[in-house]
Amino acid sequence: MGTVRGCDFPEDLYYNVENNVWARRESDGTVTVGLTAYAASLAGQIVSYTPKKVGKDVKKDKSCATVESGKWVGPAKVPVAGEVMETNGALVAKPGLINEDPYGAGWLVKIKTVDWDVDSSGLKTGADALAAFEVKMESEGFGGC
Amino acid sequence: MTARRPGRWRLLDTGLRGAAENIALNRTLLEAHQEGHGPHTLRFLRFSPSALVGFHQSVCRELREDYCRSAGIEIQRRITGGGAIYFDEAQLGWELYLDKAALGSADMRAIAARICEAAAAGLRGLGVDARFRPRNDIEVDGRKISGTGGAFDGDSLLYQGTVLIDFDVERMLRVLRVPAEKLSDKAVRSARERVTSLRELLGRTPPVEEVRRCLTGAFADAFGVSFEAGGLTAHEEAKFRDVHAEIATPEWVYQHNEPGAGTPVREGVHRARGGLLRARIRLDAGGGRVTQAWITGDFFVSPARMVPDLEAALKDTPCAQVRARVEAFFADYPVQMLHLAPADFADVLDKSLAAPPGAGDLVAEAGSGG
Repeated sequence: MGTVRGCDFPEDLYYNVENNVWARRESDGTVTVGLTAYAASLAGQIVSYTPKKVGKDVKKDKSCATVESGKWVGPAKVPVAGEVMETNGALVAKPGLINEDPYGAGWLVKIKTVDWDVDSSGLKTGADALAAFEVKMESEGFGGC
Repeated sequence: MTARRPGRWRLLDTGLRGAAENIALNRTLLEAHQEGHGPHTLRFLRFSPSALVGFHQSVCRELREDYCRSAGIEIQRRITGGGAIYFDEAQLGWELYLDKAALGSADMRAIAARICEAAAAGLRGLGVDARFRPRNDIEVDGRKISGTGGAFDGDSLLYQGTVLIDFDVERMLRVLRVPAEKLSDKAVRSARERVTSLRELLGRTPPVEEVRRCLTGAFADAFGVSFEAGGLTAHEEAKFRDVHAEIATPEWVYQHNEPGAGTPVREGVHRARGGLLRARIRLDAGGGRVTQAWITGDFFVSPARMVPDLEAALKDTPCAQVRARVEAFFADYPVQMLHLAPADFADVLDKSLAAPPGAGDLVAEAGSGG
């Protein structure tokens, strides 16, 4: 597990650093998407989660779910294009799981990708991702998770 | 003025409009800003009578729709978070469209605090002692005078608030399903202890222009910028037509509806040495978090604003943490209480949490009773 300024970033995940989201390719070919620990920390306690409906096609960098924290509403943007296969029912009852376990129980959607190889080539992983998050945190004046 | 010029922000006044147009302008201006086609902007707006739910709320859970329809009150859904509000010509809305770079932070709580501090300074310019109360209220002596909320898209954000120049508390109680007592003199009194207006505080109704000027000056000082009056860009005008066509529809307004969900209010009563405490709370859809708390009773505390401050501190608290939140609140809150301990407040809240939903739902009767 990589850590930047106290925020966890599993090194096997693929990140869109700008949008603060991660993607993980599962063994069945679907891709799980979620917010990073950094995004959850900036947002504060998340109190609502509304995913796009199953079956909906979402373009790369477009919203797959809307979340709310402290009266702020904003989209979570998918790092790769695809069709929403599954949404996280546990989050409807307990949106705070996004803060508690952003890479596990707090996942946002599972999608069937259109072209993982092409889309994921623009994402960062491993040490590259950690370095990019350090730069982002520096530019955003972030104190730490 | 499409281009963003350092230190010069647009001052946009879209006047008095219906709710669908005002909300469509929210989305239009935020999207245009995010696409790089909109300048940093301070917008002022006013509403014809409207009931607005927060983005994630359900209309039927929050509003008395029958009353709204019979009174000609337009129902809409905001793109921003937070709770349902009643808005009419006697309130002024203010909004900022900025990016995180302009605010020097990406922390959403810090951004909200900075903007609310500036708005509070603007209201102080009118001669009222307005203060930011975390996380999202501006209050005067513990009573709310401005509620706020925001939306973001990428690095762009919209943060908005209301200023209660004048306010009809009774009408609010008829429109919103707040966990008040049954609509009665007592409920109105209780609401007035929590909400105030410039008219009430100043003994006169300040002209909208005066409120605008004070807020504009305060935002200019807080961000070190000047404002230049401007209208919508051609890009925004074109986008507004499309967005309005989508938002002025039942599909938008009722998208998160939970038919039949009603308004589950849980009520607890606790008899302490210093008096009777009554707590009414509402939980979120999952039942795991307090969205609203309302504490009344015949007890004595000084300052009296401790009660609304405690209610504000309880918002969005996970049920399991309510007791700890009460203890943390009292740990650094100077208050005098007569034969009453912090544990009494924790106890009455515990009782309300343990009560079955709907047991305290006196509010539903108010639609017919009031």
